[in-house]
Amino acid sequence: MTHVPAYATDTPISGLVQTRCLITTDTNGVFGNPLPSKLSTASADGGVVPVVRYDVTLADAYLAKVTTPTAFSTSPSLSDSVAWTGSTAVSKTSDAAMSGYEAAKVTYGSTTQFDLTKAGSTWFSSTATAVYGVSKSFPGGSYTAIVLAECIAK
Amino acid sequence: MKRLVVALLAIYATSAHSEYLYGITGNMAGTGHTWGMNIGPSGSQSLKINGVFYQYTPVKNLEDDMLVHVRNKKVGGGYIFSSTDDWSGLQGGIPITKGFVIDNLPIELWGDGSIDIEGTGSVVDANVVYSYKYNNDCITPMSDPSCSGYIDAVLSMMGESKIEVYDPLADENIADVIDEKAELDEEVQQEDDEKVKAKDRLQRMLSGVNDSILYANVTSQNLLMFAMSRNNNLSPYYDKRLAGGEYEETVALNDGKLPDNKKGARVGLAQQLLHTEMVNAQYNQGD
Repeated sequence: MTHVPAYATDTPISGLVQTRCLITTDTNGVFGNPLPSKLSTASADGGVVPVVRYDVTLADAYLAKVTTPTAFSTSPSLSDSVAWTGSTAVSKTSDAAMSGYEAAKVTYGSTTQFDLTKAGSTWFSSTATAVYGVSKSFPGGSYTAIVLAECIAK
Repeated sequence: MKRLVVALLAIYATSAHSEYLYGITGNMAGTGHTWGMNIGPSGSQSLKINGVFYQYTPVKNLEDDMLVHVRNKKVGGGYIFSSTDDWSGLQGGIPITKGFVIDNLPIELWGDGSIDIEGTGSVVDANVVYSYKYNNDCITPMSDPSCSGYIDAVLSMMGESKIEVYDPLADENIADVIDEKAELDEEVQQEDDEKVKAKDRLQRMLSGVNDSILYANVTSQNLLMFAMSRNNNLSPYYDKRLAGGEYEETVALNDGKLPDNKKGARVGLAQQLLHTEMVNAQYNQGD
């Protein structure tokens, strides 16, 4: 019986997927320091609210998830606990039909999720507040925290 | 004559460089929901709208129907720009912002702008901004034939000017220039003659230099030949060889005494006396 060798070849398949959800920082946030023990991005506290913009070209395909900070990414050495609070809201839209995003948002933990059912641009603003210990003064130095913005395909 | 002037101005104008400047307006809806389109720097011409941006916050109940139109009338009828947001059944309170790229439509086509509402509700914090481009080439209408009022400006200028027949030969300035030119030509001719003479002198000098070079060549060749021949003449002396052997002393002192040379002594003494006299003489010159 004659043995017949098997021949095989690997044919590559390549493809390029362009994102249809683009996230851009519209405004960098700044902490205000209204009290020795408090840092806040609220304008009433002397801060600047960070704003992130989502540009979606495909309707009803993505979820926007925005997470407010729960820790400093850089700070002086802290010896006590920090209590964080935060929230995210729709601050501006490019389409009237997006006006329902705010009412339909889902919040869990420090994360707020929006269903991007329309194509266009949506601006989300986040507030973040950090309180140190029990009326304890923050040590002097530079403090940085991060707002995480994600675009999740549905 | 009028046609000639117009043609010359047109040629000049076409060589002018035109460059656009860009700008944006302030909030045109800041004082109300209607506005005029008096935008751009004073005197700017060829102004074209290339963008419209607006933002407002709707105020309404969820169940109410409301249409918001942001638009500009078009001169001659209709609208040159119109954007409608349908808030019917939608929640208000969240600002809406939109931007539109406009294909450089001339400001002359743009009528009054407005935010119009159909239904129940209102808008607050309205902000409408136009971006535009323009150039300043037409601040003087005659600077470009494409400027509005160009023909009128040219004709107006000519109407104010007194046109006279001009004879260039009767112009004293031109006559002076012609005379100066004639004198200048004469000076140029003299300079040319001087140049020719200088050229001749130079050629003669160069010919003398050539003769000198030729003479120098001949002289150097003669010296070379002399050196070569001298070598031949001296060579025989160098080639002489002394015969070998010992050469005996042939001069002998007969009595073994060598007497003093009295004659030589007298001469030597006389020379010494003379020398001493000469040396002393230099000290006696002051006496």
